[in-house]
Amino acid sequence: MTEAGRSHFWHSDGRRLSGLSTLLLLLPFFTIIAFVFVYPILQLLVISILEPHPTLDNYARVVENPVHMRVLMRTLWTAMLVTALSVVLGFPVAYYMSRAKGTVAALVAVCVILPLWSSVLVRTAAWSFLFQRNGLINSALMSLGLTSQPFKLLYTQSAVVIAMTHVLLPFMILPIYGALRSIPNDYGRAAAVLGATRLRTFLEVILPLSLPGVVSGSLLVFLTALGFFITPALLGSPQEMMISTLVSKQIREVLDWPFAAALVGVLTVFVTLLAIIFSKMLRFDRLMGNAS
Amino acid sequence: MGLGARGRRIEGKTEGKRGSVNIVSARQSASGASIRISRLEKRFGAVSAVDGVDIDIAAGEFIALLGPSGSGKTTILMSVAGFEFPTSGTIHVDSEDLTYVPSNRRNLGMVFQNYTLFPHMSILDNVAFPLKMRGLRTAERHARAEAALATVRLAGYGHRRPNELSGGQQQRVALARAIVYQPRVLLMDEPLSALDKNLREDMQLEIKRLHAELGITVIFVTHDQSEALTMADRIAVLRDGKIQQIGPARQLYERPANLFTAGFIGEMNFVDVRVESVGDDVAVALPWGETWRLPATAAVEPAVAGEAAVLAVRPERLQLGVSPAGQVIAVTLSDVVYAGAALLLIGHLPDGTEMRARIPGASQLSSLVPGDVASFTIPTEAMLLYRGKRR
Amino acid sequence: MKPPTDRGSLALGAYVYAVLAFIIVPLVIVIPMSFSQNDYLAFPPSGFTLKWYSEYFDSRQWRAATWLSVQVALLTALFASVIGTAATYAMIRGHSRLVTAFQIALIGPIIVPHIALAVGLYLFFQTIGLSGTIPGFVLAHTVLTLPFVVFTMAAALGKVDANLEAAAMSCGATRFQAFRLVTLPLVLPSLASSALFAFIISFDEPVVSFFLSGVRQKTLPRRMFEDIEQNLTPVIPAIATLLIMLSILILLGAHVLRSRSVTR
Repeated sequence: MTEAGRSHFWHSDGRRLSGLSTLLLLLPFFTIIAFVFVYPILQLLVISILEPHPTLDNYARVVENPVHMRVLMRTLWTAMLVTALSVVLGFPVAYYMSRAKGTVAALVAVCVILPLWSSVLVRTAAWSFLFQRNGLINSALMSLGLTSQPFKLLYTQSAVVIAMTHVLLPFMILPIYGALRSIPNDYGRAAAVLGATRLRTFLEVILPLSLPGVVSGSLLVFLTALGFFITPALLGSPQEMMISTLVSKQIREVLDWPFAAALVGVLTVFVTLLAIIFSKMLRFDRLMGNAS
Repeated sequence: MGLGARGRRIEGKTEGKRGSVNIVSARQSASGASIRISRLEKRFGAVSAVDGVDIDIAAGEFIALLGPSGSGKTTILMSVAGFEFPTSGTIHVDSEDLTYVPSNRRNLGMVFQNYTLFPHMSILDNVAFPLKMRGLRTAERHARAEAALATVRLAGYGHRRPNELSGGQQQRVALARAIVYQPRVLLMDEPLSALDKNLREDMQLEIKRLHAELGITVIFVTHDQSEALTMADRIAVLRDGKIQQIGPARQLYERPANLFTAGFIGEMNFVDVRVESVGDDVAVALPWGETWRLPATAAVEPAVAGEAAVLAVRPERLQLGVSPAGQVIAVTLSDVVYAGAALLLIGHLPDGTEMRARIPGASQLSSLVPGDVASFTIPTEAMLLYRGKRR
Repeated sequence: MKPPTDRGSLALGAYVYAVLAFIIVPLVIVIPMSFSQNDYLAFPPSGFTLKWYSEYFDSRQWRAATWLSVQVALLTALFASVIGTAATYAMIRGHSRLVTAFQIALIGPIIVPHIALAVGLYLFFQTIGLSGTIPGFVLAHTVLTLPFVVFTMAAALGKVDANLEAAAMSCGATRFQAFRLVTLPLVLPSLASSALFAFIISFDEPVVSFFLSGVRQKTLPRRMFEDIEQNLTPVIPAIATLLIMLSILILLGAHVLRSRSVTR
């Protein structure tokens, strides 16, 4: 029996699964992604250009209306601010974490990982307690005599930025930590032996090598922040909306589907383009590897 | 040492039942199966991993597939095991066509390079696993697994976990697992390469002993020529998916069939020559102008007058001093290396070709120093002639 | 041996602990607040009471929302871990040219804003009657949790030597037996921990739940959202405390599973 090359589709080649078994095992995965992810989003994009009739008017309304333009700019600015704050707050923690040992390391890890796996709502609610007129922050400021009148903190853009930074900080710390951990300790020692000061070692060895982690973390935080909904919805001011809250309003109050679809379209296409451009620098596996 | 056994093996290969005489009589029908691999080809895209390989293996024979990495030796083994299906060609075991039979229905024993013991099972459960797959009852499974462990001298280790054993012990367990259901063929994919040198030599003997006891047919893949030479009845030398030579160790070593085998097995000196005439003997011109007349039997591959050829000679066949029994060469020594049993002399022929000689009885020759010009005799019967040029 | 302490290290340490306090204090603060006797959420909390916990446990609405979220999260954990493991196994051991499609399908649900998926699913599920139903929530959450399952399982399955399955097959096991008796037991801790993570992601998922919840069928996060948005009662700190405890339990569980894993 000399069969000229049996198809790998119908037959296993022994060690690997046959194409058919591979496909059958992948079928549920791709089916659910196709119907519950790709289709609904494509449908929205289609609506945004076909309703009420084939037109780009819905997109024109996004860019031509100064109110909507301000929402876009505010969203962009907030995401950038949150990303910058996350780098400034997160990098030293990641660096410290990568150098810590034993109990200290475990403690820091718990502080970073526990929030990641606790509800966004819980974290946002916590900030709304803290930001209340009679919440912790105002009580503290008043008892220190720094102010006689409680500040208005809740329902401001600052509240949104602070709380979003808090929620997204682990997404910054973990990729940087991953990058720092993959730098062999010897590098630092080698630099030290060669006479570099600690500052120079840091600037010329550690910092450049940790850059992929910083980029990956920044992208992750920035992209997530662009579409963030819960925190702006609960802590932000109705006068200072972000894209996600504007979408929600269009759907729940105005019932303007084509316009909401166009807003979602702008957001999705922008985020997707960024993700494609920077796809080489995004490392998601690190998040999971460190979290578990 | 092993040569005598090897010789007998080949004579007795048609019967292949030698094992049944001296193994424990409780072990039933443990004779090996014959294997016929014909016109085997395996292509991965444009690359041929195996390119028209034919091997006939007698029942009870121990055959080694030897070659550098990428030579196709592992692909051949995996095709026999059922972990690769060939692009074309057939594999018969005892005249049953197994070419496309799934590996789990082939009834062959297999030992992998990295032990591949199931880490979550005890040693006993590991060894009993093939019996479980064959539906045997627990009591019998355990009894036979214990017996197999005893065969590899690991009786009493059954309750342990794989990670509590040394590498050598783990590989013996893998061996026990591969033979516990009395397969007629045992396939081994570089089983000793993960072990350190001393352990490897022990295991070589252990596997040879098992082979003799069980009478099982063994295909053994290795890149280590000394392992192949020590263990196998016959060795197939592979390169680029093709068999270069197949034969007993002595034949491979003493009369390599081509330049590749000549260079691959053991140490060999090569000198580029030109064939001047071919008749009752072969006249070759050496680079420094001499002409030697070699017996016709020296030409391993047919010599053609006017063509380039390579003269090959093993370093240990060179004799120090001038003797009428062969051709004499003058070598300018560059290194004199004391290597225990022999003295290794490295030098250059008049045209610059490197020449090595291994001379036993080293202590008497300590007067030689680099820079000396030493005369060596190459015995006529030690010279081999191949077509082509050295690499 | 102690590392040399200098001003730089001290400053770094101080800064890091300040950031860690920023991270952890808002989480911890809800715990004392949940025991406060104040009816409004003032600071500092005063007295000690369990009435907010009993209000949560006694409320039919909170219980219904919690039960819905539990059902959804359990089913999501089940579906995501089975579908994700099957797909990962196929990618690692199979013959497939779908690698790129697979990677896009994994990164998509992480990158595309949840608000976009939520709005899209809201529209789609309305038309086919899945909105506000358990299958609807489970499907949506399965999409969101699959990437995490696949990342975990890819790491775990990648550590299982392919030759182990080959060895099992050469011993007479079918492909399925080799998977069930050899590979599966080895990756079981990772499978369990990926199911735990899928559970907690689904249980805490606020955005898609927010849009898919109907008037009657509300998940716990949706109920919490409404409560925080409208009146912010002290039940929220009580629930938040319980949710934090749940997260701690799940992380502990995952940690124990990880330390037991043979393939670690």
